[in-house]
Amino acid sequence: MYAFDIKRPRSVEEAVAALADGEAQALGGGQTLIPTLRQRLADPGTLVSLSGIAELKYVRMEGDVLRIGGGTTHAQVAREAAAHYPALASLAGRIGDPAVRNRGTIGGSLANNDPSACYPAGALGSNATVVTGAREIAADDFFQGLFETALDEGEIVTEVRFPVPEAARYEKFIQPASRFALVAVFVARFAGGVRVAVTGASESGVFRWAEAEAALAADFTPEVVRGLTVQAEGMIGDLHGSAEYRAHLVGVITRRAVEGALA
Amino acid sequence: MQTTLKINGESWTLDVDPRTSLLDALRHHLDLTGTKKGCDHGQCGACTIILNGRRINSCLTLAVMHDGDEITTIEGLGEPGRLNPMQEAFVRHDGYQCGYCTPGQIMSATGMLDEVSQGWPSHVSASLEGDVPLSREEVAERMSGNLCRCSAYPGIVRAIRETAGEVSE
Amino acid sequence: MSVGRPIPHDAAVLHVTGTARYVDDIPAPHDTLHLCFGLSDTACGEIVAMDLAAVRSAPGVVAVLAAEDLPNSADTSPSAHDEPLLATGRVHHMGQPLFLAIANSHLAARKAVRRASVEIREEPAILSIDDALAADSRFEEGPRFYRKGDANRAIAAAPHRLEGRIEIGGQEHFYLEGQAALALPQEGGDMVVHTSSQHPTEIQHKVADALGLPMAAVRVEVRRMGGGFGGKESQANALAVACAVAARVTGRPCRMRYDRDDDMVITGKRHDFRIDYRAGYDDDGRIRGIEFRQFARCGWSQDLSLPVADRAMLHADNAYLLDDVTIESHRLKTNTQSATAFRGFGGPQGMVGIERVMDEIAHALGCDPVKVRRANYYADAAPGDAAPAPAPLDDGRDAPADTHADLTSRGTTETRGQPAPPPSGAQTTPYHMAVEDFVLGEMTERLVESADYRGRREQVRAWNAGNEILKRGLALTPVKFGISFTLTHLNQAGALVHVYQDGSVHLNHGGTEMGQGLFRKVSQVAAHRFGVPLERIRITATDTGKVPNTSATAASSGSDLNGMAVKAACDTIRDRIARLIAERHQARAADVRFGGDRVHVGGESYGWEEAVRLAYENRVSLSATGFYKTPKLEWDRIAGRGRPFFYFAQGVAATEVVIDTLTGENRILRTDILHDCGASLNPAVDMGQIEGGFVQGAGWLTTEELVWTDKGRLATHAPSTYKIPACSDRPRVSNVSLWDGRNREDTIYRSKAVGEPPLMLAISVLMALSDACAACGPHYPALDAPATPERVLAAVRRAREGAR
Repeated sequence: MYAFDIKRPRSVEEAVAALADGEAQALGGGQTLIPTLRQRLADPGTLVSLSGIAELKYVRMEGDVLRIGGGTTHAQVAREAAAHYPALASLAGRIGDPAVRNRGTIGGSLANNDPSACYPAGALGSNATVVTGAREIAADDFFQGLFETALDEGEIVTEVRFPVPEAARYEKFIQPASRFALVAVFVARFAGGVRVAVTGASESGVFRWAEAEAALAADFTPEVVRGLTVQAEGMIGDLHGSAEYRAHLVGVITRRAVEGALA
Repeated sequence: MQTTLKINGESWTLDVDPRTSLLDALRHHLDLTGTKKGCDHGQCGACTIILNGRRINSCLTLAVMHDGDEITTIEGLGEPGRLNPMQEAFVRHDGYQCGYCTPGQIMSATGMLDEVSQGWPSHVSASLEGDVPLSREEVAERMSGNLCRCSAYPGIVRAIRETAGEVSE
Repeated sequence: MSVGRPIPHDAAVLHVTGTARYVDDIPAPHDTLHLCFGLSDTACGEIVAMDLAAVRSAPGVVAVLAAEDLPNSADTSPSAHDEPLLATGRVHHMGQPLFLAIANSHLAARKAVRRASVEIREEPAILSIDDALAADSRFEEGPRFYRKGDANRAIAAAPHRLEGRIEIGGQEHFYLEGQAALALPQEGGDMVVHTSSQHPTEIQHKVADALGLPMAAVRVEVRRMGGGFGGKESQANALAVACAVAARVTGRPCRMRYDRDDDMVITGKRHDFRIDYRAGYDDDGRIRGIEFRQFARCGWSQDLSLPVADRAMLHADNAYLLDDVTIESHRLKTNTQSATAFRGFGGPQGMVGIERVMDEIAHALGCDPVKVRRANYYADAAPGDAAPAPAPLDDGRDAPADTHADLTSRGTTETRGQPAPPPSGAQTTPYHMAVEDFVLGEMTERLVESADYRGRREQVRAWNAGNEILKRGLALTPVKFGISFTLTHLNQAGALVHVYQDGSVHLNHGGTEMGQGLFRKVSQVAAHRFGVPLERIRITATDTGKVPNTSATAASSGSDLNGMAVKAACDTIRDRIARLIAERHQARAADVRFGGDRVHVGGESYGWEEAVRLAYENRVSLSATGFYKTPKLEWDRIAGRGRPFFYFAQGVAATEVVIDTLTGENRILRTDILHDCGASLNPAVDMGQIEGGFVQGAGWLTTEELVWTDKGRLATHAPSTYKIPACSDRPRVSNVSLWDGRNREDTIYRSKAVGEPPLMLAISVLMALSDACAACGPHYPALDAPATPERVLAAVRRAREGAR
């Protein structure tokens, strides 16, 4: 790793101040950033560790919105969101492995926007709102491409708000070595429509499958998805699977997610 | 950079490069070589330790992030002549072959049983709430982050289930 | 009686407390230096310039060595002396070591190597089997042939014919403990090396060579490995030699370990193969004639590729009698990691070839594959007594003149002597060895019953008829694996046993412990010979200073060779004690009994410690060496004739799988295994080897995929991209039984080797997946390995639509 200083703020205010320095980078659970630093793919002058900020760790229902603190671990979400939003809890409970889930955070995952990560699908599929110290960002505006988000330098995710749908399901076809998604789909049915968020498949990162959403809004059954396909062009093709295979899986996994949401 | 780590009940003040992983701090600065380095990527689980009661991969965190935290390593569970029940069960059930992953398996299993006792469900649990019976499938899912290339998994699962008080099927 | 009982591993308590020491845990003096290789980023080319000034000036760096800085030319090859420690002029694979950085910390060394400025004139790399064939890039002058009968004529005359091809991927060892070494310079230029290696004698030899020392000046110690699997038979040489040379140059202790990524990119893996086949068969599925063309992708240096490819030929028959057969084997040289030993050593790859043929014949005939397999089996051995005791070997032969040759290496390839012809009337393998201990007919019958094969075949058929999306498959495959090193003179072992005056026993032999339970098994032998409890036996680290000229712990031979050597040493000491005691009682030595921690003669007995003290006081030596060489072996590897194996280890597995025809995902539902360990020395250890071997073999054939880019870069070089079996990947239901029988041959307590054979039981997984794919349509799915979900999906399509 390149050399860095490290700061351990105890409050969001302290963290924001520490991150005002342009060379600083936020460190959540470290499950992604630490390997990245080791490979010298990042070179922050200062690491601002958020893991000591107690006020960022919570799971609360308010009305019909689930509010999760940006520093909440996947393990905590898997446990505490289960009663309120089972599909999201199940998503969190399948990220990585148990040790990773004890450290990785929702804020860290969303800010990183790995094209094969799970939370982006959960957030986009739920029409979630990402809250930072400065503003609120709708999920539709948050994800801006491979490892790119709407966050400014020094902006940290303090909370993520999930409207809880009538029915939802996260279906994940795991890439078994890394345990990331080879292709995964989050389907959620709200009174106002259906959202289908796909991760792992596209070179641009998480996306909404508009065609499937329209068909499912008219008729929420797995059969309506059967005839739909996504193009292989623009899909990730790598040593884990060709673009054609991923494109094929998008349809299959979406159908499974709908079946699961209906169960 | 200075940091004070509380390990197995004892406090140690170290002066380390901030880039030092907790794993490297344990092995090289404190001569606690029981925790093993298998991949340094957080994929194999050989470096599992318990941090503030939760099992984590010590290669994926920095030593300087844990000032004041409670850390338990394999050395803190027991020693030859004074094994704890999990360690004894691993001996009895042949839960190892080459032994390299064994400390990580035991630490992870210890953390896992704690999670279970607090009612944490897993992906294969029938229900996301309530008590979880520790079937072989449950144990396998919850131990999925600890690789054993010798595939001593049958003995590992038996040892864990026995320690948990499960009747063997 | 300690033999035959499931006693736990010797170091059990050390493992569960984290106090077992692996090489990187050994405390070293605080002036120890750390090493790191700078690696080639080009697969093939000429080194135009290498500027290491910035590496030398990097923080913490004490010295940097390139090939020209080495005191002697340092070679790390176990065979053809074609592997310089550091590249000389040309690079041959991406990941090849170019130079060595020596620094005061591991991290400093790693960071320093990045500062090198290396210019390589890139040339087209030979990467695939087809590339190598087109360029005629190979080891040895041409393909090797084994022949029996007239395959061509028999195929032409047969009622039916088929031909095809199977591609079989390699495998990364992924020992959890990566490669590591530590060299400690001694006075007078001597060197002590701690290494994680299966072959301490070869380390000793290579280090001595590199330092210009006689072997007696180098001592190598191996307490244990955190996994070997063949990956530390020759691949450990480079680190040990690097550490020793660096220790010589700096005068300080030096240690080295590969980070996981470096390990995967530098070291060799299991050879991947292509096997083309052409077979003639009849209506019963009996093979009338068959030709195999085996293509092994060996990588850039010879390493152990010749014996690996030989063993693939030697297992092309697996459990089947082939009277008219030709096996052609190409050893192809490519610009990739040098493929090396891996549990099975070519045997698994050869076997997959014929199991594919059986599967395809059954498909063509529309009959149950078990019927076809059994139609081709060798005949079961007649029940009865053990084989007659062997005559002693006469081995007054000349040693080769090449003093650089490491005679203890499997890579050595001289042929020796004239093999005796097999007894007339005996069924023989394609290499003309009589098969006299075949038990698979009866074992198969037993497993068909206990696994309810017929009932489950019907259930699978019914399931598939009623299910569109999920299909099940079932397969039963046998394993017949030849036990012994094919290079005859490697089948020797030594031991050193001391009984101290307090009755404690110091046990040492040439075998190394990598988790296979060797140390435990051999100490059971010692305890049994002396009639004392296991607690009196102290297992000690393998040490070239105690037992010289040892062979690698490999070929599943460790327990047998070393167990017999230890038995000889213990019996020597025991007999001396017996003679002393007998004298005092006017009895015969043969009447003195050792058991229950006591020595009995007539109606009297002495405690063990008492007897030992008596011996010491009467100046009877309580220390002895032991030696053993496997009898009956005689093998000509060029002619392909003789008896390379002492006996065959056998097993049979029935595996059921389910596949998702929409995604190719698959899972093993159940496996039933019946395996022959002879009279097992330690059933718990053997069960562990069987289950572990099966799971590792299943990983090889399903999820473990190695991928290289078209520039020759290994893309799967980390556990995040290379998937080995985890706890949840085991079959849901797993029933393993040991076959109840003694080894016909006079092995240690009539046991059979168990390290490698169980891996091949997992071929049943691949065949079951093929069976499931075949349930999707009329065409033969021709499923290659590894059967990843994408490949399974493609095979499902092929079954439905035919090959494109």
